[in-house]
Amino acid sequence: MNSSSQTQPQEALPSLPLDDVAKQGPGAETELARYLPHLTRMSAQLRQTSTQIESSVVGVCQSFQGIAERASSTVSRTTGFLGGQGKGASSKQSFEGLIQNCSGTLVKILNTTEEAGEVSRRAIERIRQMDKASQSISGALVKLEQIAHENKMLAMNARIEAAHAGIHGAGFAVVAVEVVSQTERAREVTAQVAGLIANLRALAGSTLEDLRRTNEQDSKRLEGCRCEVDESLRDMKNAHGEMEQMLTGITEEGARLASDIGAAVRGLQFQDRTSQQIAHVVEDLDTLHTKLTARFGGLAAGDSVANEGFSAYTMQEEREVAGIGGAEAAAGDVELF
Amino acid sequence: MRRVLIVDDSVSMRQMVGYTLRQGGYEVIEAEHGGDALDKLTSVTVDLIITDLNMPVMDGITLIRNVRKQPALKSKPILMLTTEGLATKKEEGKAAGATGWLIKPFDPEKLLQTVAKVLP
Repeated sequence: MNSSSQTQPQEALPSLPLDDVAKQGPGAETELARYLPHLTRMSAQLRQTSTQIESSVVGVCQSFQGIAERASSTVSRTTGFLGGQGKGASSKQSFEGLIQNCSGTLVKILNTTEEAGEVSRRAIERIRQMDKASQSISGALVKLEQIAHENKMLAMNARIEAAHAGIHGAGFAVVAVEVVSQTERAREVTAQVAGLIANLRALAGSTLEDLRRTNEQDSKRLEGCRCEVDESLRDMKNAHGEMEQMLTGITEEGARLASDIGAAVRGLQFQDRTSQQIAHVVEDLDTLHTKLTARFGGLAAGDSVANEGFSAYTMQEEREVAGIGGAEAAAGDVELF
Repeated sequence: MRRVLIVDDSVSMRQMVGYTLRQGGYEVIEAEHGGDALDKLTSVTVDLIITDLNMPVMDGITLIRNVRKQPALKSKPILMLTTEGLATKKEEGKAAGATGWLIKPFDPEKLLQTVAKVLP
């Protein structure tokens, strides 16, 4: 930016016609000398302006950088949250991952419930098989009852035959009586077993009915849950798709913002050129001041002209730079009259 | 991370170039003029120098000449970033040992592309 090492602007200037001024006589020289302080003021004004422009540009530039960084950070965080691709993905699970996990868990629950239903169906089948076995036992008991009846009839016939045999059949009659007694006991036991089996079958029948009804209801509920889970997963996937679209929009917007900021940064570089141009002018003014002071400076002797024909320097900072006293600075930014 | 030394007497230019390079993944060190840059080069190693031409204390061309005198920095890439576009100045820079010449105002993307090209 600084042009102190540059000589081109000075070379481009025409030579100062100082001798022409001298020819006008001592009055002209003195008059010219009285204007010399204004050159210094103008240089100082320009330097101050250049500094102020630079300070403002630095501030604007910092703001742009802040905007760019925030935009970049937002895009990065959103990307990380949704897709697990960005910087934020390392610390947090991605939204897509959450959907997948949720879907996996729901499918597991459904499968477990289905497995429970399957166990219940197998239990029903086994109870049916047990009932069939009970039926078979009942059949066997009927046969035992018939056998007992036949045994009783046989024993009765044996007693009749023993009576016909007289004294010789007395022992046979005792055996026949005992056979009848044993047959009666066997019939009692058979009747008890038949009763137990009947109770068992009644119990199995009611359990079977309960299981069948529960299994039927579970199957219906399971089907309903499966439909709801499918629907929820579809909704979540749709929501994810919409968010992805939104993210794409944000990313594109971020890229456009970055491009705009790039253009703004490029535009702000005018300050560097402006500062250089001002520096060249200041350098020339200083050269002019030096040359005029060397030639006519001694004539002024502090008798500089007033501000007639020059800027009014309405701002306090301008007056300070120009070294114009007598004007008090305002107490603050706001003044009521 | 590659380290770049930016030499410019303009605070705003150092800030703009620095921001652009940091966004491009470079570490940035700043110097206000050639003399400041030479001081910094005694204590830090850099991969690239980007310097302005017209600066107080020591201008860009003088900085390049001084850098090239040091054996360790003989082949270090140096880019001139300046508003100066005169062919004679460019020749002077090239003769001093500049690797490239960029004219301000710079385009951030082009600057990053150029930096990537000249870095070994």
